[in-house]
Amino acid sequence: MQRERVYRYFALGALVLLAILGTVLPSGARSLMIQIMIFGIFAMGYDVCLGYTAQCSLGHSLFFGAGAYACVLSVMHLKAGLLTALAISVGSGFVLAAVLGPICVRLSEAYFVIVTAIIAAVFHLLAMDLIWLTGGDDGLCISVPPLKLGFVDLSLYQPLTNYYFVLFFMAVTYFVLARILRAPLGKIFVAIRENPKRALFLGYNVTRYKLIAFIISGMVGALAGGLYAVTLRYCSADYMGFYWSVLPVVWCLIGGQGTLVGSWLGVALMSLFQYYVSAWFTYYLLLFGVLVLIILSVSRKGILGFIASKVR
Amino acid sequence: MADSGYLLELKDVSRYFGGLVAVDGVSYGVKKGEVRGIIGPNGAGKTTLFNVITGELKPTGGRIYLNGKDITGLPPHIICEEGMSRTFQLTFIFPEMTVFECVWVGVYSRARRPWNLFFSRADRSGPIAEKAQQIIHTVGLEEKTHEMASSLSYGDQKVLEIAMALSTDPVILLLDEPTQGVGPGEVDTIINLVERLSKEMSIVLIEHDMDIVARLCHNVTVLSFGKMIAEGTCEAVSQNEEVQRIYLGEKIVCS
Repeated sequence: MQRERVYRYFALGALVLLAILGTVLPSGARSLMIQIMIFGIFAMGYDVCLGYTAQCSLGHSLFFGAGAYACVLSVMHLKAGLLTALAISVGSGFVLAAVLGPICVRLSEAYFVIVTAIIAAVFHLLAMDLIWLTGGDDGLCISVPPLKLGFVDLSLYQPLTNYYFVLFFMAVTYFVLARILRAPLGKIFVAIRENPKRALFLGYNVTRYKLIAFIISGMVGALAGGLYAVTLRYCSADYMGFYWSVLPVVWCLIGGQGTLVGSWLGVALMSLFQYYVSAWFTYYLLLFGVLVLIILSVSRKGILGFIASKVR
Repeated sequence: MADSGYLLELKDVSRYFGGLVAVDGVSYGVKKGEVRGIIGPNGAGKTTLFNVITGELKPTGGRIYLNGKDITGLPPHIICEEGMSRTFQLTFIFPEMTVFECVWVGVYSRARRPWNLFFSRADRSGPIAEKAQQIIHTVGLEEKTHEMASSLSYGDQKVLEIAMALSTDPVILLLDEPTQGVGPGEVDTIINLVERLSKEMSIVLIEHDMDIVARLCHNVTVLSFGKMIAEGTCEAVSQNEEVQRIYLGEKIVCS
């Protein structure tokens, strides 16, 4: 109870801070912040899988990439509006997770990790090969349609609009996920994480609930992918690469798995590290790896989990 | 099958692990309101039998009926919905949840509907919370309602396990050594609890301690190497020569 309150206050504080920062930040830092927020969405979705049902997927780049492509392709070929394109992104995440999930979620631990990684790798190769559709390594560029709100048209080419557009989706994703995790479904997820066998003998179809978590996670991942593509006005097969599968794991581990919003800290730390340290040290990831090890040896629940355990 | 008068009925149930016979043609019935003890030396197949009954393992042969309904080979969560509940030999709780949440999850299992799954609030009061509170009260953990399950003493964890088993509203409760490894003071608490529960539901109990079996159980089934070698009242079973031979030297006293 107490810990969940810490997470909630942290999340609300961070959202307010982000809303203020949007107006004060210089343009370079602002675009970095946009990236951090998009990754924050991706990380929240991933935590539903890793932190709440203990399914360590190494295939979430599939959802991220699929969301990005769904968005870009629907703008290019269907002339879809911005919100429609993002809805199609989320839909693509839902379809992929619902089709591939049943194969994955019945597997335990290591097998789940391997199979998700393989599935994502297959789709990565497909995206690389189907150049006529995906543009392969070179990717596809789009011009982003304006956001039609009825009374006014907003263009995401305005950095400030882009910033608040992404912040809006981050807030919505947070509130929806937080609500779901406080609902019975969230309690069932935690029960399954804590002891799947006991949950099974309490009458829960564990596989089904793992699948629900996987699908929610996939949809959020695809939304993040869509937003990323919209922000960069670009998308390539690289988004389905293994790198994008490992990132969310790292974010969640640093920030605190099972906290939903702790991963924001992981995202922020890693992005800032990447941005500032990589400028003067090529092997910055090596340093970052050491940092991750230190954080995890101090607290297995990451930074936010550590803070929450100290708050009484 | 409804005419057999048994709540739980096993007919010639077997379970092999490759060439190893863990449960060998066991048949018995448990009547409504009965407390049935299952005893036997280590490795006799008692826990395997539980696993077969509750659906964790599929039986190699034989049928199992609950309330006249054939439940052979059904998955555990369906069997649970039919009104069977169990505890485990090692404590099986949700360590990172509070006592209240542990029980709440079980109660919700029976009250779950698609429309309250996603967006209703789990921490609000309501009939589910009340029921959970009532179960916690029944087992006597009310002072620890909001403590983390992992912070409870071992004995309390065993009690919490029973509370979780109760939360799904069972008609029959399977207890796998509920007093194992528990201190003497807490053993009494658990025995008293089981005694109280036995007035409301049928109980099948695996237990090593003959005193406890004698105190709680109406009938006893003795297993050895997967085979059922004796069945009857505690007194009758303890007179049985084969049982005495198995319990080699251990004196079986039934008062």
